Amino acid sequence: SYALYLSFLMTDLFVDRLVICRRQQYVGKVRFAHFDMHVQSSKKVLVATEKNVFASLNTRTGEVYWRHVDKTGPEGNIDMRCWLLGMAAFFVPGTSTSSACFVGQQDSVKYVAVLKKSAVSLHYLSNGHQKWVENLPESETVQYQAVYSGGNGEVYTLGVVPHSHITIVAYSVEDGEIIKQISVDAPWLSNIQASCAVVGQGMLICADPATVSLYMLDLNVQSQMTQIPLQSLGLEVSPGFQPTVVSTQPNPARPPHSEFFVQLGPDHYQLLQLNNGQIVALRDFKPAMLVSFATTGEKTVAAVMAPKNKTACSLNLFSAESGRRLLDTTLIFNMDPNGGKPEKLYVQAFLKKDDSVGYRVMVQTEDHTLTFIQQPGRVMWTREEALSDVVTMEMVDLPLTGTQAELEGEFGKKADGLLSMVLKRLSSQLILLQAWIAHLWKLFYDARKPRSQVKNDVTIENLSRDEFNLQKMMVMVTASGKLFGIDSKTGTILWRHYLDNIPSNAAFKLMVQRTTAHFPHPPQCTLLIKDKDTGLATLHVFNPIFGRKSHITPPALPQPILQSLLLPLMDQDYAKVLLLVDDQYKVSAFPSTKNVLQQLQEMASSIFFYLVDSSQGRLSGYRLRTDLSTEMIWEVIIPTEVQRIVSVKGKRPNEHVHSQGRVMGDRSVLYKYLNPNLLAVVTESTDLHQERSFVGILLIDGVTGRIIHEAVQRKARGPVHLVHSENWVVYEYWSTKSRRNEFSVLELYEGMELYNSTVFSSLDRPHPPQVLQQSYIFPSSISTLEATLTEKGITSRHLLVGLPSGAILSLPKMFLDPRRPEIVSEQSREENLIPYSPEMPIRTEWFINYNQTVSRVRGIYTAPSGLESTCLVVAYGLDIYQTRVYPSKQFDVLKDDYDYMLISSVLFALFFATMISKRLAEVKLLNRAWR
Amino acid sequence: MASPGGQGGGALSTRGGCGVRRMKWALELSLGNTRSRSDRQGGQGDVVYPIGYSEKPVPDTSIQETDKNLVEKRCWDVALGPLKQIPMNLFIMYMSGNTISIFPIMMVCMMAWRPIQALMSMSATFKLLESSSQQWLQGLVYLVGNLLGSALAIYKCQSMGLLPTHSSDWLAFIEPPQRMEIMGGGMVL
Repeated sequence: SYALYLSFLMTDLFVDRLVICRRQQYVGKVRFAHFDMHVQSSKKVLVATEKNVFASLNTRTGEVYWRHVDKTGPEGNIDMRCWLLGMAAFFVPGTSTSSACFVGQQDSVKYVAVLKKSAVSLHYLSNGHQKWVENLPESETVQYQAVYSGGNGEVYTLGVVPHSHITIVAYSVEDGEIIKQISVDAPWLSNIQASCAVVGQGMLICADPATVSLYMLDLNVQSQMTQIPLQSLGLEVSPGFQPTVVSTQPNPARPPHSEFFVQLGPDHYQLLQLNNGQIVALRDFKPAMLVSFATTGEKTVAAVMAPKNKTACSLNLFSAESGRRLLDTTLIFNMDPNGGKPEKLYVQAFLKKDDSVGYRVMVQTEDHTLTFIQQPGRVMWTREEALSDVVTMEMVDLPLTGTQAELEGEFGKKADGLLSMVLKRLSSQLILLQAWIAHLWKLFYDARKPRSQVKNDVTIENLSRDEFNLQKMMVMVTASGKLFGIDSKTGTILWRHYLDNIPSNAAFKLMVQRTTAHFPHPPQCTLLIKDKDTGLATLHVFNPIFGRKSHITPPALPQPILQSLLLPLMDQDYAKVLLLVDDQYKVSAFPSTKNVLQQLQEMASSIFFYLVDSSQGRLSGYRLRTDLSTEMIWEVIIPTEVQRIVSVKGKRPNEHVHSQGRVMGDRSVLYKYLNPNLLAVVTESTDLHQERSFVGILLIDGVTGRIIHEAVQRKARGPVHLVHSENWVVYEYWSTKSRRNEFSVLELYEGMELYNSTVFSSLDRPHPPQVLQQSYIFPSSISTLEATLTEKGITSRHLLVGLPSGAILSLPKMFLDPRRPEIVSEQSREENLIPYSPEMPIRTEWFINYNQTVSRVRGIYTAPSGLESTCLVVAYGLDIYQTRVYPSKQFDVLKDDYDYMLISSVLFALFFATMISKRLAEVKLLNRAWR
Repeated sequence: MASPGGQGGGALSTRGGCGVRRMKWALELSLGNTRSRSDRQGGQGDVVYPIGYSEKPVPDTSIQETDKNLVEKRCWDVALGPLKQIPMNLFIMYMSGNTISIFPIMMVCMMAWRPIQALMSMSATFKLLESSSQQWLQGLVYLVGNLLGSALAIYKCQSMGLLPTHSSDWLAFIEPPQRMEIMGGGMVL
């Protein structure tokens, strides 16, 4: 029975069908953070991020309590600020808002002042209603940039005419009446928010890099700006550095503190104090990477981060009033060698029982990581907010286990004598047996424990491929330049690597040059990073399993790179060859060994590439010459005045199509037009008028430039989402005529006979394909579109539609079939075609993510697994969601309710019954023979 | 597996019987009935035949004419058997319909299997027909009947769609065509 039990465990393992879907929520790069100090034991930090997300995080665990995802405006970036006062949180979205502040009187904060381009308004904090709104004087010439209130019943708006003067208008809080209006010459000033701050009892202090001095202006009395050269304070600014002023106003009902920081260099801060109109230097901090004020109760402290050694920083608290260091306040922040430098510091100060100040800090680093640290340096949590902006990703197979790899290695190496081979073989088999027994023992041991207690720690060391290759490594590239390796089963981040000096508008292209299949050679991924401004590109070559940079030095690319092309050719180390096309249309290969160059010379005549320049509306095709120069062989110009190229999509190189045709009702075959070189080009009209706008779809052969099909959708507008796979193209657009979203599907067929069934050459295809098209109404707009992908392409296809609501819809391709008949006939019924109906339903059971909505889905990545029925899906946007889909149900896996016990007991019973009856029959025959 | 032992035992008992009872002769009818003809031929060496028993049948000339007619008739029956079944098969075919389900398939299998079986044991049938004068004609008729029967079964398979005669039946075996060109590229990054 023990053996029986084990066998059940094994089968259980084979049908490991836990519903594995995992969502991770992110907020984005933090712009503002505020610790909720209303309640002493509060565990909240409120953050507003560059992704226009307003969220509350748990300071103990780093989890998201709640999250408000605001719209991304058409301009993209919406300014957003947040403060917290008591339990009322306030945030201001909207491009027209330039600044806002709380307005308090007599220690109570009732209003918020919002500064817009040409008006300032005061709102009640309790309900958001407007108290008054006033136009700003001379708003055509003056740029109003800041609003300030010191709790004295006045609201100051600060405006500037760049390189001329500052305008200060003071309004009465009660009725919005202008109390006074001052104009002060300031020819050196261009931006108030960048270089000025209000300190003490309404003293505006600005830093001027040109004259290396501070300017002071009392807002209460009309006066001139007084210039204080920094040298007179004994301070020196690093050459070429723009000094900035940092002040603090912990309570909006009171004026800001009179202590402030001036940053004098990249790692140099000076604490200053405004004392009766005189600036006094309190303390010099050098080196100091970051400073921040924090207030608890009546105490205001300054936290200063200074570098300790190469890998760690130390934080200390200083009294703001005196600049003295507070005892026992050192905190060590260990920097991740694979992370960025600290960028921002958010300090949560609190009073301890003995009335001394304790604190925790949230450090934000350049790679958008938030780290929350407690004294003396214990990391409570980290959040990888870079993952809210995934640009591109790939899924890589995990390596086989060490033992399996050893076996593989044995066959991979060359034979060296029969005896040693036999010995090697025996030893590896022995190791395998040992591993198997250990595995069985572990299984048995784990099975006795409840499922929740079984630890599923995944680390890089115990990573191994499972039987069906369902667990893979997700390699994610984020816009900040941080790379992640995430285990697809548990969502654990297994490695991270920050690439510094990534240009701000970089284009990324990730390619898998070598998979894990070539064992003694490590897998290899290459990331092409291109600076869009200069056009120059760099290559980052790394191991996707461990995240380590490869020892292979990528070639230096002195010329701007236009595109790259991963060839199916391999060098002697099984790395696929990457071709890089520069702006002279010359090609360089990576790796570029002799072997590769020789192969390229042989294959040159059959290597083609295409380039699409949407700014010039030009599609062009090139052929490789043996000397690695290229020759243009075709060109299609799409006039940019009329329409512009929005996207170009080819087929995925790892896509397999099992069936070469479709069986008709009369059992003949309609062969698919499976041109691997086909490109789908989407164009949108430049004229956006709803009567004249259109969307164009162009199917072009990438080798010959031959236009296979052209379709224009009149009275339609983008954004167009498109999927191109097998012999079909599905796209979605907005129909301006009917004011609805429409899906359209194009299918290409070769006809009832194949022209050439053994080889496909674009150069030899005389007959144009038959094109069928049908359109449907879709009840929702969509944010992204992708198709499922399976190992052999036998499973039917589904479309994965990311909806703006955060749901991901798995739409059977069967519904998007241009052969759906309007009139049902015997033949169409034989073919299982659904009768045509213009409305495409959204059935709730098609949502693959149930209630786990994925905010702002930007992309869906699909990868085949080892099981034909199963496709791995990753949706990324603000959140990351990973799941599996089974488009044709799990036809190759036993069902969950499969009764192993019953079936095996029946089998055993039958087996014993036959044994017994055989014996009985023998006995009976013998007896009969003796009779 | 038990039959050789039984046979041996039988033979032994016969001899033993001879040995124990010292009789002049004995006629054991029951033994003769249970044994087959060939057995008796094979056991000629060790089985002692009773006196007066002749191996060759005595020709009976008196009823020879009718016997011959009878044999002829019987042989024609055998030869025409498959042909006679065809109307019956046609009826069953018509009744079972063209749907693919277990019963029609079983029937088609039987219909196809029987003629094939008959064709395979053709030599045995020919032996049966040996005595007839029109042996060759009868053989031919038998063959044609069986061929017709199998043709009918094939026709039935065809109408049920079980024969791989359409191009769609070979669709799964078409390999994806080999790519002649390598192509790649995209929007200028």
